[in-house]
Amino acid sequence: MSTQTLLPESFQALEPYAVGWALGGSAVRAARRGNSTPGEREAFYAAAVGELPRALDYLDAKGFAAFDDADERLMNLMLSLGHVALAVEQQKGAETRHARDRAHMRITHTPAGA
Amino acid sequence: MNSPTTFTPVGQDELDWLGTDPVPATPYYDPEWFDLEREAVFRRSWQQIGHVCELPENGSFIRRELEVLGASLLITRGKDGEVRAFHNVCTHRGTLLVDEAQGKRNTFSCPYHMWTFGLDGGLISAPDFESFHVTKAECALPPVACEVAGGLIFVHLGKPESSLREWLGPYANKLDMMPVARATTFSEYVYDIAANWKLTYDNFQENYHLRFIHPSAAGPVTSPDNPFAYPTAYDFHGPHRSQRIWTKPDMPEPTPVQGMAFQRGAACAMADGILGGETAKDYLGLFPNFFLFGSPMQHFSHTVYPIAAGQSRGVIRLYWIGEDETPSERFAREYFMATARDVHTEDRAVIERGHKGLASGALEHLHFQTQESLCRHLFNMVSEKVEAYRAECEGVGA
Repeated sequence: MSTQTLLPESFQALEPYAVGWALGGSAVRAARRGNSTPGEREAFYAAAVGELPRALDYLDAKGFAAFDDADERLMNLMLSLGHVALAVEQQKGAETRHARDRAHMRITHTPAGA
Repeated sequence: MNSPTTFTPVGQDELDWLGTDPVPATPYYDPEWFDLEREAVFRRSWQQIGHVCELPENGSFIRRELEVLGASLLITRGKDGEVRAFHNVCTHRGTLLVDEAQGKRNTFSCPYHMWTFGLDGGLISAPDFESFHVTKAECALPPVACEVAGGLIFVHLGKPESSLREWLGPYANKLDMMPVARATTFSEYVYDIAANWKLTYDNFQENYHLRFIHPSAAGPVTSPDNPFAYPTAYDFHGPHRSQRIWTKPDMPEPTPVQGMAFQRGAACAMADGILGGETAKDYLGLFPNFFLFGSPMQHFSHTVYPIAAGQSRGVIRLYWIGEDETPSERFAREYFMATARDVHTEDRAVIERGHKGLASGALEHLHFQTQESLCRHLFNMVSEKVEAYRAECEGVGA
């Protein structure tokens, strides 16, 4: 059985979410939020929200230039958390309908890569 | 300074000069009126079309479509560093010259017969040119008036009666003071909408709808003494207008991720020296179709491009200074973009609904209240220009 991890060692608690949420591209992350189920969002949010400050501190200390693949995935995971948090913290029960309307707003450019 | 008991909305007496009559509904959906606007408004106005950060090097270019005037534009930064605009049209037989939306190169070759133009629009070469009966100088790309203010690129497809800065008046200096003037990159999202450009634009210059259409976002910014989050002041200059955004003095605690984004984003904005600027609460509406909000944390522009009487395209950009320097900055920027996108999503849906109702022809008039005076001002400005153009056309025909 493989023991290979996708995220930096100190973030093993988030491993179950790496495949589904550590996604490259702002538009892809936004679309993942839009296509997710309430259960997926709530589980990811609950697991990740408490790790956000530590993750950003860890990544800041390392700096983009020193990122390895695992760091890149952790960055993308936290960026996805930002999208999901808008559903969980702000839209709440309105998210399903909101997602349908939001699909009209096409993300075309971001500093992180659209 | 605002407090929960001292907010006073701008009074009608300050705005009486705009009138109080119902406004005719037809201009908000009628194709004939829209055709008049093409010439009276869009042919005769400076229009925001891009930002200098899109042309970072000599040889950089962008292509922009201005459907309202049926124009395709090529905007370049020349070898001398100058930003210029041209019709993206080969002067041989009219073929669109450039397909790519942006890029970098020194020459542009028409795929049809390989006429090749330089960054300054000059015709450099054309196969068997000796067989033509014109000079190369006569075959330069048709130039379009192009000027920059606050880093923003504006074009004028008619004959400008004034420079861009004269056109903008005091708002030109405001643009210079805003973060956009120093921006080097941006986040952007785009939407298509089945609605008239004025109806679309109007949505973003009144706060009356906030608590109903944006229940999640409006809650923290409204209060019992200002339940609609009306602005503290309005300002007008020629066809342009602005409002000063009211800030709730006792904002509630942010949600966890929102709080983290604000904290990390504020540190970055402070490092960029853009916190606390005197234009931070200014929301500029530059005639005919451009907005810019001065907020340093969510410094966004919004251009509503008319396509047809009942079709528009919105382009929203959050301008940033510098690339993402830290992961925290990247996180804050993506969160702020996603937040703005959520709010604009709610606007788009209700605007389409509004257009459908108006275009049914059921109403002869629509109504603007005191705190929708910026919408009334836009209508007045458009109407004035359309009527003047009509009179001109009738004078010519007489």
